[in-house]
Amino acid sequence: MRKRCLGILLAFVALLSLTACGTGETAGRVTLTITGKKSDLEKSYMTSIFEQYEEATGNRLEIIAYEDEEFEECAAEDFANGKGPDVLMHFHNADLSRFDVARYFYYLNGESWVEELTEGARSYCQDREGNLLGLPFWENSVSGCYYNKTILDSLGLKPASTQAEFDMLCQALTEAGYTPICWPGDGCSWMVQFGLDPVFADDSRLLEELNENEIGYAEIPQVTDMVQWLADAAGSGWFGEDYLKVGWSDISPALGSGEAVMTFIWDTWFYTDFEPGQTYGREDFAVMPIFMNTAEEGTYEGGNLNMMMVNKDSENLEAALDFLEFCAKPEHYNEAFAGISTVNCFKNQTTNIQSQMVLDARSSIQERERVSVVASKVVGYNAEDMVRALEELFRGKTDVAGCVRLMDQYRLEETDRYGTDGF
Amino acid sequence: MKEKLRKFWPAVLLCVIGAAAVLIGAVYFEFISQKIYEDSTDHLEEIYGQVNRSFTAFMERNWGLLESWESLLSKEESEEGEIADFIAGEQEYWGFSEFYFLAGDGSVMTPDGLRDGVDMEEVRAALAAGEGPVMVGESLPDGKGVTVFAVPAQPGKYGNFAYEAVAVSYTNEDIANSLKVDAFSGKSKCFVIHSDGSVLLSTQTGGSVFGNYLSYLTAASNLEEEELAGIRKDWESGTTGLFQCKIGDVNYCILYQPVGYQGYMLLSVVPQSVVSAGFLSVQKTTMLVLVVIFLLVGILVLMPILLRNRKQYRRSRMELQYRESMFDVLSNNVDDIFIMLDIEEQRVDYISPNVERLLGIPQQEVKENIRVMEKCAVNYNVVIPKAELEEIPLNGSRYWECEYMHQNTGERRWYRMTMYHMNIQDLTKYIVVLSDRTQDQQMTTQLQEALAAAKSANEAKSNFLSNMSHDIRTPMNAIVGFSMLLEKDAEHPDKVREYTRKITASSHHLLSLINDVLDMSKIESGKTSLNVERFSLPVLLEELSIIITPQAKAKFQTFKIQVHGVLPEQVVGDKLRLNQILLNLLSNAVKYTQEGGDILFTVSALIEDSQQYVKLRFEVRDNGIGMSEEFQKHVFMPFSREVSSVTNKVQGTGLGMAITKNLVDLMGGIIQVESKPGEGSTFTVELSFVLPEQEKVEALIGQKIARMLIADDEEDVCMAVKAMMHDTGVDVFYVTNGEDAVRAAVSAERRGEGFQVILLDWKMPGLNGVETARRIREEIGEHVPILVLTSHDWSEIEDEARAAGISAFMSKPFFVSTFWQTIKPLFADLTAQQAKTQQTGDGSGALTENGAGEMRVMEGRHFLVAEDNELNAEILTEMLDLEGASCDLAVNGAEAVEMFTASAPGDYDMILMDVQMPVMNGYEATRRIRSSGHPLAARIPIVAMTANTFAEDVRNALDAGMDGHLAKPIDMEAVRKMIGDLLNRTASENTQEEGAQS
Repeated sequence: MRKRCLGILLAFVALLSLTACGTGETAGRVTLTITGKKSDLEKSYMTSIFEQYEEATGNRLEIIAYEDEEFEECAAEDFANGKGPDVLMHFHNADLSRFDVARYFYYLNGESWVEELTEGARSYCQDREGNLLGLPFWENSVSGCYYNKTILDSLGLKPASTQAEFDMLCQALTEAGYTPICWPGDGCSWMVQFGLDPVFADDSRLLEELNENEIGYAEIPQVTDMVQWLADAAGSGWFGEDYLKVGWSDISPALGSGEAVMTFIWDTWFYTDFEPGQTYGREDFAVMPIFMNTAEEGTYEGGNLNMMMVNKDSENLEAALDFLEFCAKPEHYNEAFAGISTVNCFKNQTTNIQSQMVLDARSSIQERERVSVVASKVVGYNAEDMVRALEELFRGKTDVAGCVRLMDQYRLEETDRYGTDGF
Repeated sequence: MKEKLRKFWPAVLLCVIGAAAVLIGAVYFEFISQKIYEDSTDHLEEIYGQVNRSFTAFMERNWGLLESWESLLSKEESEEGEIADFIAGEQEYWGFSEFYFLAGDGSVMTPDGLRDGVDMEEVRAALAAGEGPVMVGESLPDGKGVTVFAVPAQPGKYGNFAYEAVAVSYTNEDIANSLKVDAFSGKSKCFVIHSDGSVLLSTQTGGSVFGNYLSYLTAASNLEEEELAGIRKDWESGTTGLFQCKIGDVNYCILYQPVGYQGYMLLSVVPQSVVSAGFLSVQKTTMLVLVVIFLLVGILVLMPILLRNRKQYRRSRMELQYRESMFDVLSNNVDDIFIMLDIEEQRVDYISPNVERLLGIPQQEVKENIRVMEKCAVNYNVVIPKAELEEIPLNGSRYWECEYMHQNTGERRWYRMTMYHMNIQDLTKYIVVLSDRTQDQQMTTQLQEALAAAKSANEAKSNFLSNMSHDIRTPMNAIVGFSMLLEKDAEHPDKVREYTRKITASSHHLLSLINDVLDMSKIESGKTSLNVERFSLPVLLEELSIIITPQAKAKFQTFKIQVHGVLPEQVVGDKLRLNQILLNLLSNAVKYTQEGGDILFTVSALIEDSQQYVKLRFEVRDNGIGMSEEFQKHVFMPFSREVSSVTNKVQGTGLGMAITKNLVDLMGGIIQVESKPGEGSTFTVELSFVLPEQEKVEALIGQKIARMLIADDEEDVCMAVKAMMHDTGVDVFYVTNGEDAVRAAVSAERRGEGFQVILLDWKMPGLNGVETARRIREEIGEHVPILVLTSHDWSEIEDEARAAGISAFMSKPFFVSTFWQTIKPLFADLTAQQAKTQQTGDGSGALTENGAGEMRVMEGRHFLVAEDNELNAEILTEMLDLEGASCDLAVNGAEAVEMFTASAPGDYDMILMDVQMPVMNGYEATRRIRSSGHPLAARIPIVAMTANTFAEDVRNALDAGMDGHLAKPIDMEAVRKMIGDLLNRTASENTQEEGAQS
């Protein structure tokens, strides 16, 4: 039973909407359908841009909001039944494989606003062939190793600039009685990709061979290096004692109390999930690169963005493309993102709030930031599967090689599930 | 005390040696540790002193080079290219990473041009401070750390760049590599730090994360604030020092030495385990050797002791095992159970293995929990409360008599549980001995029972004498009293008759009392034996009926005899005793049943697989006064009579049931009674009899009769007759009333399938038997024998019945043999036999004649009487005279023989023979008569008339050849019956003989 939450019909276009029946063009005005997750569509910047558009163009937007857990299945079914919306909002993650992307969606490479995107944002929205699939319109962030600089200063320690230094730092912190890294073993689904990003971002050949099923994780030494490092780190006590019980909600207390000194997270997390008022506040933290033994000088991951994709078969294709162009204009996105904590997706984005942590590490980020490629571009990648494999390792049920084999096995099961070509 | 010391001296010696070894080891360990520490730190200081000197030389060399190059650089004629080439050459030779010209504003220039972005601010500041040559840490734009060595120079120009100082730089990584020490397994770290703890250089591979090592020590080590202050002070003063601390789980040795430039110190951090690794190894080896030596010495010292102790232990153990085995064997072969208890510990120390044999509880179970013995106890708890045990004085004992039940066999045995309170090796123990006292207990019980029995017997004897005294004196009193009155009132015939009647009654009662007492005495003395012979069950029942029916009739009671199932007609047993048993029961039933009551006598054959034996059940049921439950328990005891208003009016000796019970026991049977006061009693006797070969009359019956009709309102009787006639092949039809009988007889006759015999019950509802017979005769004539089957005395209606056409009478119950005896003469010549039957009677009819009938039998008869007692002879003569008979007297057996042999056939109808006589006793006389040549020697009836009344006497009489036995005093009723029977038998034999002759 699908729940179809129809439309956030904006009040000020209500009168116009009264004259429109269903989708399509009426008396020169167009009604566009936009489908997405309910929680995504309710973001303030999304409603802002929708309002701006309808007010400016007189066109109407019919919002089809699915419950989060049903979104992928329902949207894919809509497209399969030829009832796809004009615009689909989607995180460019593994679930996009539910859709026949080449068949359903319009490539946006030639749009005028492409140059307006930051490199990272544009790269994130491209497919493996470099086709731009959507307009990123979302909170951007920088994922890195966020550390408690107050504690480090008090210990006379410096942030690491190399993997060796990071290991020294962890060891020094351990000896000083701290848990160096808050590693939420109970569902660290986002962390694994941080380590793998440099592997595939720096060597596109590996990504191709992996996606063409010519090799597996086991044939990529860096993957084994990463798993080995995780095993060593866990064994050295760098994740603390009960890290397998630590979940998402435990990160904030661990960092806020000073029990843990570092974690691999993104800057906006400090504005959305970190609870102020603890021993340490947001201002006590700074960011350095993530070290997971896959990049000697560390890495940052660019944002995971929600993008607006245009239905190639839309009756309102031109209007849909115009809608994206409207969204990509500085005056429109700056109004929408005014006061929102986010790293820039657009080069001329000025009204958003950028975290001091990111600003302080700007030069380091510029040198070491990689696009989030693993989640969106590795065929069959499923963050939960990686966690399952690591859990087997951490619980001593398998060794490093076995863990890597499990990662491969789960990935192949994932591709089997969706009948991915070439697997 | 000395003994104890001698016993434990090896252990003491061992302890002393051990303590000494530990003490020596501790002292030695402390000494070695201190020595090792000192040597280790010396070693550390020596190594890092060398490193420090190398680093100092490195600094001074760089400064020296820079100063030495200054003259060249400052030459005006030096060309840029020449300078650059020179520096490049030096760089290649000395290995520095860069050469810098430093301007006064902090800007720098390399020989190959300006370097924007290189920050030399700290170098400039240091030089500006005028401290001469400087060594400063700087960061390159790529974040990599470099160490810059600079010296002030004469202001000059390199190209257009005006400089005031020159400098060379090394990457920190390069310097660190030069400071690395191969010793300590590469696990040492070396830092060049400033006196405030800030780190200039680190030898760690891959970089360093330590910004200020003093801060790190403060936060991460276990150093106290005081220790840290001392260190800080040393660093500020440039003093060499060494300390130990713990960071995390690792102990470190940290050596600091001034490098000889400003406040810089060389800090060497080495894990303590690494520093002392070699020495620790020696220490460990030394300790190991010492321990081994001590152990060897200890072993050498202790071995003989241990061997001797072991030998003693083994010997003790063997002795103990031997003792235990011996004790186990002993206890296994006696019926006493031994237990040793530790009450404080609630533990069984020992339990002898025979507990399983004697009580059925495994030894181990008792050992684990003494309370398992509770389940053996009968009626009470065998586990004595602790408080009660504690009351037993030390070395004292108490005992309890307990009854236990064997858990496997259920056998109960008595034990004496004796509990000894002991002190064994300063421990309080309780030793329990369970001694089998079952035999003692049984003996005690038997003695008690015997005593009780003796008392009871004595009491019984007293009661008996008391009872006898009373019971004998009572009739005797009447006899004596009325005899006196008889003499007085001899002239008054009515009174004489009344007195003689009462004397007679009292005499009979006295006689029966004496008979019972004698019977009882004989039985109890064990002198009673059974007279086993073949006898006819129907005859027995008929005789019982003849005796009991008149008694019942006198009290207007109904008396029925019923047979269930097919009874054997001939059995082997003691008929006389059986008769006595049944007569006792039936007489009692009549006696203790009110007038008009019902008495039912049932005989049934119990199912027996054997064809040689049959078990018969005789049941006497009445609805009389019944017995109380209490009395039923004593009903079979001598002189037991229930005391009540009813029983008190009934004469009795109280011995009848006791005699009956004893006789039943003697015959191997059982007797039971069920009774309720006011509702009646049922006595059941079950006895087994040998089955002799039965007379085969069935075939004879089958030859004479094809079809037979029986009419009886009791269907059970009809069914029983039919069942009994089954083997004869006769088709038996039955109806349950007279009308149906008439219809059936007439109908069968008309169909030409008439019955050959018709059997009618006398008393039926509707048409009774006689009326039914009359109707049948009217319809079908006289050719069919009609018999009346009844349990009643038919003498009253005999004439009427015969007039109505009844051919013969039969007593119930029906027996095939009796039936045959009855119908056989009828079939021989129906008409003639009818006439004859009227004259002589058939077997059954003759048996019932009494009164006038007997007079006819006795009248005119002439007897030979052998009697030595003159008085008895006179009485008998008078009695015979009263019966119309006469006699000749012989005074002994020999005379009787003589008189008989001298007589002519027919002179005597019978001989009445006393047994105990002078000259020749009755037995011998009888034998002689039987063996004499007299024509009637074999047939002349001889009847014993004797005071010897026991069964043996009867048997002896019969064995001697007599035909019957009459007990003295003479009971004319019995005489009449006996004589009548014998005379009838003789007449019948004569008739048959005559018939055979004819």
